[in-house]
Amino acid sequence: MTNPLTTFDGAEIGRQVCEGRIVVSQADIDGFCALMGYDDPAYRTDAPGGAMAPTSMCLTYGLRLGWEEDVFPPGAIRMGDENVYGVPARAGDTLTTVLTIVDRFERKERKFLKYEMVTSNQRGERVCTVAFTAIVP
Amino acid sequence: MTIQDIPARISISQPMIDAYARLSGDFNPLHVDPAIAAATPFGGTIAHGCIPMEPIFQAAQALIGKPVMPPGSTMSLRYLRPSQPGDTIHLEAQPEEVATDGARAFAFACVNQRGEKVIEGRCTIPVAP
Repeated sequence: MTNPLTTFDGAEIGRQVCEGRIVVSQADIDGFCALMGYDDPAYRTDAPGGAMAPTSMCLTYGLRLGWEEDVFPPGAIRMGDENVYGVPARAGDTLTTVLTIVDRFERKERKFLKYEMVTSNQRGERVCTVAFTAIVP
Repeated sequence: MTIQDIPARISISQPMIDAYARLSGDFNPLHVDPAIAAATPFGGTIAHGCIPMEPIFQAAQALIGKPVMPPGSTMSLRYLRPSQPGDTIHLEAQPEEVATDGARAFAFACVNQRGEKVIEGRCTIPVAP
């Protein structure tokens, strides 16, 4: 059943919809690097200070939370992003992502929701803020 | 080296899209089910929006010689059209602007092999610590 707080009409702007945690693994980093062609030694397990995750990998954290929690409705069309990147995530980090619907508007008879996903590490440092606007059914 | 000197591109395939679905949890049939996607106006599957963004990260990180974007970096972008398996997306950047404190900014477009813009936007990069 769809969470009413995730629908266009039911969304409460600014209210947290869900929160999720993941632990960044070296296998996750290796898989992402292989997929996207990243080969810098900083991503490897023997990197000083521990392997860093490529910055673009942080886009997946909030998306995964949104899909797993059924926040994004089927048929949603992503129109644009406003993203801010923080400290890099590292293998072993426990990341917490908070997802909030931050805006709602209609334009040309289409309905839009703006989602914001803020990901922080176990020290409370901001890893990224990913905000995207989508046309929703 | 300027942002315009840096080759940055990504070739999109269905296995790449499938793998990104597993990473992001986004298994929308439009991304991962060629049969269903074939019946849509796109005529086939489309890539997740983050995939054609990759050339922006590649170029920005190469520009500053770092493996990750420094804290405080921003990207603002619009998706203009979908990317599909078989597409190769490359970055076309405008000349970068350098602030007095060394921070850099550039406008960009991610462009497919037909010369069509799929993403356009702006990136800012503060001085790395």
